[in-house]
Amino acid sequence: MESSLLFTIATLIYLAAMVLYISFLSFKKEGIGLAASVSTHIGLGVQTIALALRWIESYQMGIGRAPLTNLYESLVFFTWCTVLVYLVVEHRYKTRVFGAFVMPVAFLALAFINVTGINTDISPLVPALKSNWLLYHVLLSFISYSTFAVAFTVSMLYLLMDAEERGSAVNIYAALGAIVVLAPLGYVMAGLGPNFKTTFWLGLGALVIAWFVYLVVAGARNKSQTYLFWSVCVTLAAGLLLAMGIDFVLYELKANPAGESYRKHLFEATFLNPSTSVLVLAWAAVLGFLWLTWSQGMRLKARLKQIIPSQELLDDMTYRMIAFGWPLFSAGGLVMGAVWANSAWGTYWSWDPKETWSLITWFIYSIYLHARYVRGWKGTQMAIISAVGFIGVIFTYLGVNLVLSGLHAYGGIAE
Amino acid sequence: MERQKGIVEIVAEKVWKFFSSVKLAVILLIILAIVSVIGTVIQQNESPEKYLREYSETTVQVFEMLGFFDMYHTWWFVILLFLLTANLTVCTLERFPHTLRIIAAPLKPIDDEGLKALQLKKELTVKGGMEKAEERVLQVFKAHGYRPLETRSAGLFQLAAQKGVYSRLGVYVTHVSIILIFVGALTGAFFGFKAFLNLPEGQASSVVYLRNEPMWDQIMAALGIAESPVIYNPDGGVPAMPLGYYVQCNNFDVDYYQGPQGPTGMPSEYHSTLSVYNMDREKVLDKRIRVNDPLTYRGITFYQSSYGPMPDAPGKVFLNIRPKNSTDVGETVAIEAGQAAYVPSIKRTIRAVSFAPFGMRNPATGEVQFYRSNNDEYINPTVELEILNNDRPVYKTFVMKTDKGSPYMPEDYIISYVHYFGTRYTGLQVTKDPGVWVVYTGFIMLCIGPFIAFFGSHRKLWVRVQDRKGQAVVTIAGAANRNRLGFERAFNQIVEEISK
Repeated sequence: MESSLLFTIATLIYLAAMVLYISFLSFKKEGIGLAASVSTHIGLGVQTIALALRWIESYQMGIGRAPLTNLYESLVFFTWCTVLVYLVVEHRYKTRVFGAFVMPVAFLALAFINVTGINTDISPLVPALKSNWLLYHVLLSFISYSTFAVAFTVSMLYLLMDAEERGSAVNIYAALGAIVVLAPLGYVMAGLGPNFKTTFWLGLGALVIAWFVYLVVAGARNKSQTYLFWSVCVTLAAGLLLAMGIDFVLYELKANPAGESYRKHLFEATFLNPSTSVLVLAWAAVLGFLWLTWSQGMRLKARLKQIIPSQELLDDMTYRMIAFGWPLFSAGGLVMGAVWANSAWGTYWSWDPKETWSLITWFIYSIYLHARYVRGWKGTQMAIISAVGFIGVIFTYLGVNLVLSGLHAYGGIAE
Repeated sequence: MERQKGIVEIVAEKVWKFFSSVKLAVILLIILAIVSVIGTVIQQNESPEKYLREYSETTVQVFEMLGFFDMYHTWWFVILLFLLTANLTVCTLERFPHTLRIIAAPLKPIDDEGLKALQLKKELTVKGGMEKAEERVLQVFKAHGYRPLETRSAGLFQLAAQKGVYSRLGVYVTHVSIILIFVGALTGAFFGFKAFLNLPEGQASSVVYLRNEPMWDQIMAALGIAESPVIYNPDGGVPAMPLGYYVQCNNFDVDYYQGPQGPTGMPSEYHSTLSVYNMDREKVLDKRIRVNDPLTYRGITFYQSSYGPMPDAPGKVFLNIRPKNSTDVGETVAIEAGQAAYVPSIKRTIRAVSFAPFGMRNPATGEVQFYRSNNDEYINPTVELEILNNDRPVYKTFVMKTDKGSPYMPEDYIISYVHYFGTRYTGLQVTKDPGVWVVYTGFIMLCIGPFIAFFGSHRKLWVRVQDRKGQAVVTIAGAANRNRLGFERAFNQIVEEISK
């Protein structure tokens, strides 16, 4: 299969691009930046050809479908979209600083697939998935997810630039303490049965949401809290990526039993590991990373200060990304999905968790788009809402299957 | 003297003001986003037994009281949706006339006052006098797709132009789309129903079994205005809804993906052939439905949803018989399982000896082997046949679904498998939703509206060309309601082209 080889080549080119973008940030040499851009373009070209080839291969195998229907393909497509959206940003804003933040995500996503060789087979589709509506739905959803991902990256930079100082260490101790208390509590309550597990998740959800609301309302006043929020988001993103990466590797090494969804094994190597010592280690790593992010963030800010665009421009970029992604998400994520559901099941909306979470995500980005008309809500609040929106995206894509399906077994219709 | 406002007027004004604020919209969206989470954590619409198994009794009581088990249909959630819709409607009514005025406003050349207020402007001199400058400006405007309004007075030439004025409507298209989706969903809840029908092959039904009754019928019946068409089962079973016609299942089948060795057991398609008959038993139409391709008749839609076995029903095998080495399509005969039938065209009697859901022929030896299939799925249905000539056995053979035109026929005709009939039912999801077209209209508008709103912008440009001591002084100014950075780029481009 030529497509797999090309995907590997694209991954290597992205790796080179990533290294170049990071060196560009460190050395600030125009030549390095240009080389980074050029290699990203070439990588995207190679990946485009690979995607096209995979589509053709599926026809040669007599299955004939767009390469968008399983986790492998969705990751590849998400990477492709993200790199594309990033390049558009690079061209429009004539700045290469974001490459150092976006390209690692693209590279890691592809690297996991290549290193582990997760099921890359072109497998046939179950009847319900054979619909053009579904194709448009997935296509547009992932393009919008990519714009939200870039918006998230930019918002993160905004929040870092927005921070004036770390603030009192009480903040970080409180956050670390909360994890130390809540994580074991979660395991204990989950062990006591669904009643306690649901109570725990509802309580945790309420706590997190309360914090988000507080941040949005008081974010501009309490900069030390927004800085903590920044540290938590960075930790969350890095932690999720790393934990999933470890899972991918181990899952493949174990020679997975045929037919078993590997989503079932996510976080098995870390946060859902049966061994207590591994659990403690995993959480210790999280605590360490959070502490490191929080204590080193200001140093990063000082390094980035000269090369990063102004905060106004970062704010404008975030708005543009979301103003581009939201229409696509409305049309693709919600409308096309609903039309597909109606043609397959006779209901365009059934409030199943996946649907509901995509609606929640849509609500959050709708809040973002209207927030600028509310007096006093400016850059900081907007960046926080954009970050929370992306947490919604992640939860729609992964959390519904991981967390909620752990609470109760849902039928896989919305898979 | 100013007229005193009545209390009603004051309250109405207050309510209107309350609903016309964007702040309310943001607050409602935040509340909706937060409470929506609850119903994704607590499983919805399960049986009371299941809840009692999962939660303690008090928890179940509290959740029950708050409506958490069917959260998205509770009065308080629906009220939240109502408030959002009211908010959207009032905001639209409040701002739309203003937008219409902007759209309808005629283009006017700009005055000094207006020019002062604009941030984006540029002054430059064009060599070659007024005429040259006018010509240049007009040319650039047209090249950029503007159709300017020209005004001329002594020593002063003015242009005013705009583009994308209708992009101001995008936000209203979006908001109205959401109002429509809400109205359509309500219509469906009041006048529509969801039902199911398990229909065995060969059978017809004029009723479907309701999952939920149309609210309108319930209200009318409760008020004693009209009797509900619903047929209640005296034994407390599922209530039935009459269709006003018969729907019949002619056959149901599953296709499987083919691997290198034959069918893989992975379904590629479920399909049923349905016929609709009117109450006088005259056929109205036939349709083969598949997943994603339902049948709609008189506002009621039938979706392929499931299937299952009818263990005690007698099966019947449909066979096709045609002469060898001929293009003749042959004839189809039906033989009940275990029975025999005489086929005049070949002067033979065929007996259907046995049926197996999953048989495979070894391509090398021609031998037939049988496999277990999960849930007795008909992965490759196989029938053993005995061919008799005047009660004297001639030979035995197998016919199977994947083996059309089998070479294992010793005589000068070919028997092939068509269908094994009567042992399964098709599970149909049946819905009536008269609001779906309103919702779909909303959907279309939701696809278009945001694009108009976010991808377009209302751009205005003005130019004044003044004669100053024989030199043409050109002042260019512009404004855009959205995407100001993009407009600035376009503006600078225009300025550059004029100054060239």
